[in-house]
Amino acid sequence: MTEVELKLFVLAGICVTASTIGYLLSLVVKKVQLARLSTWILLGGFVFLALSLILIASHSTGWSNFGSRCFLSLYAWAISGIYLGMQIKTKTRVLGAFVAPLILLFIIAAAGQQSDKNLVPLPWQGWLTTLHLLLAIAGEALFVLAAAAGAMFIIQDNLLKHKKPGKMSRFLPSLGDLDRINQSGLLWGFVLLTFGMIAGALYAAFVWEGRWFSDPKIIWALATWVVYGFLLHQRLAIGWKGFRMAALSCVVFVLFFISALAIRFYLPTIHSFI
Amino acid sequence: MIILVGLNHRTAPLAVRERLFAGCEEEKNLLPEFLAIDGVAEVLFLSTCNRVEVVAVIDDNPETAEKLKKVLMKKGGLMDGEATCLYIYRDDEAIKHLFRVTASLDSLVMGEAQILGQVKDAYRQALAQNSSGVALNRLMHRAFRTAKRVRTETEIAANPVSVSFAAVELAKKVLGTLTGKKILVIGAGEMAELTGTHLIGNGAEDITVVNRSIVQAAAMAEKFHGRAAGLDNLDDILSCADIVISSTGAPSYIITESMIRRALSKRKNRLLFLIDIAVPRDIDPAVDNIENVYLYNIDNLQNIVDENIKNRRREALKAEKIVEEEVKLYSNWLKELEAVPTIISLRTKAEGIVRAEMEKAQGWINSMENADKEKIEALVKGIVNKILHAPVTALKEEKVEFDSPDIVAAVRQLFRLDD
Repeated sequence: MTEVELKLFVLAGICVTASTIGYLLSLVVKKVQLARLSTWILLGGFVFLALSLILIASHSTGWSNFGSRCFLSLYAWAISGIYLGMQIKTKTRVLGAFVAPLILLFIIAAAGQQSDKNLVPLPWQGWLTTLHLLLAIAGEALFVLAAAAGAMFIIQDNLLKHKKPGKMSRFLPSLGDLDRINQSGLLWGFVLLTFGMIAGALYAAFVWEGRWFSDPKIIWALATWVVYGFLLHQRLAIGWKGFRMAALSCVVFVLFFISALAIRFYLPTIHSFI
Repeated sequence: MIILVGLNHRTAPLAVRERLFAGCEEEKNLLPEFLAIDGVAEVLFLSTCNRVEVVAVIDDNPETAEKLKKVLMKKGGLMDGEATCLYIYRDDEAIKHLFRVTASLDSLVMGEAQILGQVKDAYRQALAQNSSGVALNRLMHRAFRTAKRVRTETEIAANPVSVSFAAVELAKKVLGTLTGKKILVIGAGEMAELTGTHLIGNGAEDITVVNRSIVQAAAMAEKFHGRAAGLDNLDDILSCADIVISSTGAPSYIITESMIRRALSKRKNRLLFLIDIAVPRDIDPAVDNIENVYLYNIDNLQNIVDENIKNRRREALKAEKIVEEEVKLYSNWLKELEAVPTIISLRTKAEGIVRAEMEKAQGWINSMENADKEKIEALVKGIVNKILHAPVTALKEEKVEFDSPDIVAAVRQLFRLDD
């Protein structure tokens, strides 16, 4: 990481931290203006992160510098990008209070990594693996958004069911909007993850030998794909909407998040760079 | 001085308000009549169903205010005994009253938005007829600014204070946008009709009215450009509706838990919002335990409204502080304005002295280089300005802080401004 790249990363970190504090404060004081301001600050973080990642990726050696720090930043970048993109359509600024802390978590994790460690092996790099990584990360970022919307749905549902539509309920987005965001997150997350996995599988099938599919991270990804596919099916075909789907997306997200961490730190995996 | 003469829903009974409103409406344009009164410099006339008020900039003659009052009494055909309905506010009190009215703190339903539009219309009319001048223009802009501050800095208008509006707000909280949402109205009660009207006003499109009497259902459906149906079709219609409003006089539940479960299974668990405003209740309360179904009865809605009214009262205290601040700002400006003629006279006099003395000294000044002449001129002007700075500042400050007429008189006498 050059000095400029590092500075951009630090600026992004400052923006994400400030927007997280702003969003959480907006929940306390229940002022939508504060959430709106935090959204703009998050946009700043998104731009800085994008510049930092573009600079790293545009080195003459290809993206051979991409290691854990970059991939974790890429997660943070994808989640912020998708959340901000969605804001153009739905204007549910307050949702940031649940999304921004997760972005901050990825930034902190990225900052904790040494930039020259856990790099993607040079021979693996190519357009198919780039596609694989980008699509898979974007897909997972969409699941994060679905879970955040689900968590907020549960709180709003609780307030409305208990006939307490006070300040907090007025401040949170409507159940209808949250349910729609949950559906979009699941649907597009699943589509992107599917293509991402196909790209990865194609690459592995042609280039690698041996039992690559027994890699813990690949088994984890397959399980994720199956479970989210099941949720999506139940949602679209059977009609598991609203509260049930909100609760399930949260539970499934937490389980996969914890298991991903466990694989990363305790099991040998060929995806150790993420 | 600023004066406000008028009556409102608090000081005058409906019959008096009606008479005055009608009298003023009859004669479309009252501004020339007010302006024709001796001592009235600027005037604005506000007439709504709850208040009739004249705001004017007048001289210090006490008769002028009485004349304005008499015009209003004549228009409304008010007897002498009814004169007590009319109030006269002067200076800060008048400014405060106008700011409170514009910010909807004096309205029947505190925080309602209509009054601001009505005051703006009245001001537009005054502008069109040139009945508004420096003082009134500034006053009205301050009033609009106050209203805006009250709206943005307090939550006075944030939450609905009627049952039907509260129901609409809840529907939005459950379903998000109401555009394209389907409404089912059961029974032909007035409250259901009102709520239906508000829902349609907020974007809901498709409305079906169900009633035991199909004739009554058809009559209400026609008002909404909707459909009418009998109670027998309730099961089918329920599965399509997003919002259900029920207000029948039925002695037992019309909508049961099993009906909602069936409807929900048909509509693939899409969110459903139910409003039961009937007493005895039309919808089985057990329905509320079903996932994705939100049931509110009349007590739930009334509790929300009561809470919102309490909240508005709390917010009104904040709003009153804003009004006080703005009144002070305007009042200070007005007092400064009163000192302006004296300040202008003082400056004119000083400039006259400078000019005369410079002319006297022309003989030796002319023998100088041009650059030196300019320097001398600048020096003299600089000295005069420095000398005048202290009395001018003191004049403004004394006017604003103590509203003292003595200081103006003192300055005029000291500098012999009236000679």
